[in-house]
Amino acid sequence: MRNLFVRECGNYKTSYKKDMKLFGTKSEIIKWLILLIILLTLPLYASNYWVGLLTLCAISAIGAIGLNILTGFTGQISIGVGAFLGVGGYTTAILTTTYGLSFWISLPLAGIVTALVGGLFGIPSLRLKGLYLAIATLAAQVIITFIISRWDRVTGGTAGMVLSRPVIGNYVLTSNASYYYLTIIILMLTVLYSVNLLRTRVGRAFLAVRDRDIAAQIMGINLFYYKVLAFIISSFFVGIAGALLAHYTMIVSPELYNIQVSIQYLAMVLIGGLGSILGSILGAIFITLLPVGLTSVVDLLTAYMPDLYQLFSAFKEFVFGLAIILFLIFEPGGLAHIWQNIKNYFRVWPFSY
Amino acid sequence: MFLLQMLINGIVVGSIYGLVALGFVLIYRASGALNLANGEFVLFGPYICLVIMTSLNVPFLAAFIGTLIFSAVLGLVVERLVIRQLQNAPTISVIMATLGLSSLLAGAVHIIWGHSTRTFPPVFPQTPLNLGGIIVTPVYLWSFIIVVILLIVFSIFFKFSKIGLAMRAVADDRQAALSMGMSVKFVLAVTWMIAAMVAGIGGILLGNINGVNPTMSAIGLTVLPVVILGGLDSVIGAIIGGFLIGIIQNLAGGYLDPLVGGGLKDVVPFIVVLLILMLKPHGLFGSRGIERV
Amino acid sequence: MLKRKSLLGFLLGVLLLILSACGGQDSASPSTSSDSSGSDGKRTVVVGGLYDITGGTGDVGTPYAEGEKAYFEYLEMKGGVEGLNLKLIGKDYAYQIPEAQKLYQELRDKEKAVAILGWGTGDTEALRQQVASDQLPFISASYSENLKNIKESPYNFLTAASYSDQGRAILKWIVENHEGDNPPTLALLYNDTAFGRSPIEDIKAYAKEVGVEVVDEQVIDVQATEAQSQLLNMEKKNPDYAIIQQTWGATSTILRDAKTLGIDTQFIGLNWAAGEGIIDIVGADVAEGYMGILSHAFPYEDMPGMAEIKEYLDAKGKTIDDINQKFVQGWVAAKIMVEAIKIAAEKYPDGDLTGPQIREGLESIQNLDLGGLAANVSFAPDNHAGTEKIRLGIVKNGKWEPITDYFSHND
Repeated sequence: MRNLFVRECGNYKTSYKKDMKLFGTKSEIIKWLILLIILLTLPLYASNYWVGLLTLCAISAIGAIGLNILTGFTGQISIGVGAFLGVGGYTTAILTTTYGLSFWISLPLAGIVTALVGGLFGIPSLRLKGLYLAIATLAAQVIITFIISRWDRVTGGTAGMVLSRPVIGNYVLTSNASYYYLTIIILMLTVLYSVNLLRTRVGRAFLAVRDRDIAAQIMGINLFYYKVLAFIISSFFVGIAGALLAHYTMIVSPELYNIQVSIQYLAMVLIGGLGSILGSILGAIFITLLPVGLTSVVDLLTAYMPDLYQLFSAFKEFVFGLAIILFLIFEPGGLAHIWQNIKNYFRVWPFSY
Repeated sequence: MFLLQMLINGIVVGSIYGLVALGFVLIYRASGALNLANGEFVLFGPYICLVIMTSLNVPFLAAFIGTLIFSAVLGLVVERLVIRQLQNAPTISVIMATLGLSSLLAGAVHIIWGHSTRTFPPVFPQTPLNLGGIIVTPVYLWSFIIVVILLIVFSIFFKFSKIGLAMRAVADDRQAALSMGMSVKFVLAVTWMIAAMVAGIGGILLGNINGVNPTMSAIGLTVLPVVILGGLDSVIGAIIGGFLIGIIQNLAGGYLDPLVGGGLKDVVPFIVVLLILMLKPHGLFGSRGIERV
Repeated sequence: MLKRKSLLGFLLGVLLLILSACGGQDSASPSTSSDSSGSDGKRTVVVGGLYDITGGTGDVGTPYAEGEKAYFEYLEMKGGVEGLNLKLIGKDYAYQIPEAQKLYQELRDKEKAVAILGWGTGDTEALRQQVASDQLPFISASYSENLKNIKESPYNFLTAASYSDQGRAILKWIVENHEGDNPPTLALLYNDTAFGRSPIEDIKAYAKEVGVEVVDEQVIDVQATEAQSQLLNMEKKNPDYAIIQQTWGATSTILRDAKTLGIDTQFIGLNWAAGEGIIDIVGADVAEGYMGILSHAFPYEDMPGMAEIKEYLDAKGKTIDDINQKFVQGWVAAKIMVEAIKIAAEKYPDGDLTGPQIREGLESIQNLDLGGLAANVSFAPDNHAGTEKIRLGIVKNGKWEPITDYFSHND
């Protein structure tokens, strides 16, 4: 039986098929299986509070993976994530509350509707690049939010709509643990899909578009098709994340999907590492748990200096901005890159060269 | 009559937009960065001015100059510490850095001054002027005058002064400017300082109009349509774009609001953005970039 | 190599940050009472708090949160409640709804709160379904009419008249006090959020009933720096009165621009559009003659209920000049919650108190005397609106003066 700590130490691929394999050695598969088992059995030994937090992290991770497909793989900057989350959330709200459809139908439908809307707003991407596309998506964010709060009859206007938890047969997913399982399973499917996306023709086309889109066009990649496709696929996942969040909190309202949310998701993707699926997940966990961690630190400090509570609370915003800037300056590859560095360090440990 | 009042309103409101947009454009031309933290530069100005006025008990003009100095320092610090490090980073990194910067600066303002609205002691005369039936507050009129003066000053500055020429050169082609012996570092620093000062002036004017509170930084987002309309790298475009957006906003608010149930004032600039991006992405006065593979 | 080490150190620092979140389980929350942990035979009742101290509505949220905390401290000063160990554990969520969501989860799962003192429309709306599903009574400073709907929001309670009831009371006052031959005309100025739109339809319906003509509606953004186009549009219809449903920022914009344009409509603000802050922002002469709903007492009014607040302030070495109306509002909210807990504790002397039991306690409150600090509240299993009564006030010489006593449109 092979040593579990065997790692690849070089590039000995002899066939194309071997090069594209997801797991290099048997030990990698085992390690991922162990991680999977830990995740799936988490509710058994972690407190309810943590299960709830991790559910929020998982939902953000799905959205971050979606955004990463657009921004990290295909290089199209999008500041409109918040609005697309809203489209997903509202679609599932309308389908389940107004039309009484089951959650299991409305979830994929929410993804599809958001994908279509995303594709629509991706059409300008043919003519616009970089900054201009970012501003176009910003405009999309503002306009979609406006439409949601105005279209009273369908969306309930500014008062929002209420939703209920999904039901399997007779069992309602009210507990934290049950929703956690739902989210983790969907997250795993998302990760499976996106990691495999990179191995296909479509994924390679995305990467080519990111690196040099004019050169890609010369090589025969239909820019318009692939750019819009990137928007569609990315918005699908963002819509699913929005729908999951809506059913978790059981409410949708236009105030939940403002530009702050978009900035947070962009931060997740950037801090996690552009173009890396692991990065999206790490970034999502980091950004979601950062305020929680800061609150604990504030509490700790407040126990000693109670008058400064107000001062410390305002630090959260400051630290958020500081974290983004520090990561961008010192580690542009993000958390995924840091993780790679750690792995590389141990790869040849104890020999450092 | 109504139309005229709307137009005049739009022009005077737009003058402030133009001012803030000016800083935006200057930074874009020199650093190639979309400074989404401009709103926070606007935010710092009036707070500093108030602090100087109240704690040191100096008249407005002295506090004004003090604010200019402070804003310049702020712009310098930002440029040195943040933007300098991201010189070769991809566009999205720089956009994200300015977003992070806006959180940071906004957080700093909240930490130091909290959230309550403060008011300026009356600096400009308060009674509104009645120009043949059109009512204008002196503050708005003053901001219009200041913007026009600044426009003239900047035109002269960029055309005739050494630093102005250097700024234009650096914006045009950084390598060539370097090889001509210009200190690009110095020019970039000056650009950010001027941009921050201009934003600070805009903030002081805004603060006089409506009180000083943290929501003032929202103007940072509202001027994005202004710079897109005018062209990201055109100073004239920023000012004229400001007027145009102000006018369009007010006209839409005045005429279309009753039809849609209100709230159009904030969405219309972004609809204009989408239209412009569709039809003429580089704006009215912007220059087309050439992309090389 | 050095850079990698420093990065590793940075990463470890971040990990420590996150770990401290799970480390500080019960030890480090800013509770405002003594830390007796139930070993002396007392039952612990944790009330969770959602504050906005550093967020967009922090200028009114901070004194409100202080008032809530102050009441719990005052209880401690007076020896606490018989047989109960009351704790208020609250944190700032800065009006960011995702943060409110996480904070609520923390209060529910980690701190085991059995009731929540919330804050604004944002968090109240966002958590409405969850508190119903988790069965935690929720008292907040959002007086939205839809919170009265027992089917939709079975666990929400209103401690002052809802925005719609405030509007109806204003309409009644207008009908009774309007001078002139023509029927009174009304305009509605609000913003494009759930808070802003909440009372509009109800006000329009009631206006039809009592014969007031609504001639115009204008939407003014909550962060608007000028409202001239909307006010000019309104002036075309020349309304006698205009009801403002905004927060201080937009209200001050409206009042200032109205004065500039020389509009002589009588502006009447609902409770969040009134308050000391308006006078501070626009100045006494722009605010002169502005009317508004006074849902709670100002500290300088000599109400009987102020006695206990004064007692608390004296013990802290402060005076009534250090607090404002929002502080009184928070104090009252906390007081109502504690009353309910007391009733529930008497009714269920054994075992830990649960959310549904406290809800029962709330629902059995009848005509709780608040000493003039606010209108007396009564609840019932089918009525979660504490009261329909409010007062109207007017700004005279830079101060709010009440011009009516607590009344409602049903009187």
